[in-house]
Amino acid sequence: MPAALHQVLLAGAWGGLLALERRAFLQAMFSRPLVAATVMGLIFDDLPAGLHVGMLLELFHLGSANLGAALPEHDTLAATGTSAAAACMAHGSGAGSTPAIWSLSILLFIGLGHFGRMLDRSLEGYSTRLSQRALAFAEQGELHRAVRQNLWGMWPHFLLFAVATSACALLGALLSPVVEGLPLRALRGLAWAYPAMASVAAAIAARGSHAKRASLFAGAAAVAVTVFTVVFTWVRA
Amino acid sequence: MRERYPPRRSLSRTVLARVFLRSLFLQASWNPQGMQNLGLAYALSPALDALYPEPERRLVAVRRHLVFFNTHPYVAAAIVGGVLFHEERIACGEESPELVVKFKSALMGPLAALGDGFFWLSLKPAVGAFCAALVPWLGAKAAVLFLVLYNVVHLTLRARLYLMGLALGDQLVVAVGKARLPTRGARLRAVAAASSGGLAAWLAMSFGMQEGGRVGAMLAFGCLVMGGLCYWLVVQRLPNFAVLYLAALLAGVVGAFI
Repeated sequence: MPAALHQVLLAGAWGGLLALERRAFLQAMFSRPLVAATVMGLIFDDLPAGLHVGMLLELFHLGSANLGAALPEHDTLAATGTSAAAACMAHGSGAGSTPAIWSLSILLFIGLGHFGRMLDRSLEGYSTRLSQRALAFAEQGELHRAVRQNLWGMWPHFLLFAVATSACALLGALLSPVVEGLPLRALRGLAWAYPAMASVAAAIAARGSHAKRASLFAGAAAVAVTVFTVVFTWVRA
Repeated sequence: MRERYPPRRSLSRTVLARVFLRSLFLQASWNPQGMQNLGLAYALSPALDALYPEPERRLVAVRRHLVFFNTHPYVAAAIVGGVLFHEERIACGEESPELVVKFKSALMGPLAALGDGFFWLSLKPAVGAFCAALVPWLGAKAAVLFLVLYNVVHLTLRARLYLMGLALGDQLVVAVGKARLPTRGARLRAVAAASSGGLAAWLAMSFGMQEGGRVGAMLAFGCLVMGGLCYWLVVQRLPNFAVLYLAALLAGVVGAFI
């Protein structure tokens, strides 16, 4: 059953709100991929898609940070767009949520991080004009009007990112016939790609942790988990 | 003739709460020119209204906060509190307005570095990696746990920094120094690295266990080796995207033809 229109609109609203939360208001990390994509999965009634896409993208973007004037990739749009597309693909194809669909949407939509950064940059001119307008109002003695310009900086973010997220959901729905038409061999390959990508994203995250001896900590934990799993499986067998 | 000032006025709790809530919008119109200038003026506005009933003095006060300002959005709470500390004294003539300008410009850089190092580069990766590592066991609850763990630290520190700024003014530097954020940050980064490594290994092992038998063991081993190799490739500055696509291609080809 394809995703309903109200779900696409809700997804857009969630994407827009998160773009605000990420940059303009609070920054309580609702916009992190793990949270953003999980809720997107709930919106489309496909929690596994949201959770698995969110986990992978959380790890992939773990090291990114908004330092000074530098803009990192927009991990939020990458998460909301990819998870919305994955859920809509799964709905449209009727095959349910599978690792093959998660892999395909990640491979197709992970570049949204770059696109989101471009959107962010394009809005800086508008914010600069607001700042100049505030100064002009202050010169005229209209102080309340001057400081309230601050809030006007938010609506273009909401609008642009809401539209982008909804577009990703629609694109996912449009791609679902392609998923249906994929040969079994390709689907199996895509299904195998998901755990490999997740494992690699975790390795990338170890590097992105910024720890001084990241390789040592990550390696020690990997060895411990491997030994524990092997021993546990062997004892159970 | 010496200017006559009103006696020192303390800001009411309502005004202080309004300023704190408005400081959450500090970056609403972040721009490359003044950066957080408009956000700071917006946050301080209720306090400046209360401290300067005379329009001329209020205008001067607002204009001195519409200049360039940029710091970490959480740690900015300390500066906002400190600005109120100074503005209360400036309003009654106990201090010169230059002091608050100096206070802001002296603190915004060092506090930005402290906030970036602790929140963006330590707490966020640590909680993110730890909770992502719990997804196989907790499912969606891992996302809730992420929000709880992060925000307990974030909101507590943000509120405490604001109160410290209000109470201590310039002395808040000493109090912030005592919090030993850089040391705690280093520990958190180690947690992030260990969680990521552990999760990489767990994902590789569980992938192998799904297939089972000798093929499964080989898959798990191959996945572990690929994780290590990818870590090395990222250290060699190969873009993360390239590494991810490479891994997907390799696993996809193997999956399609085995």
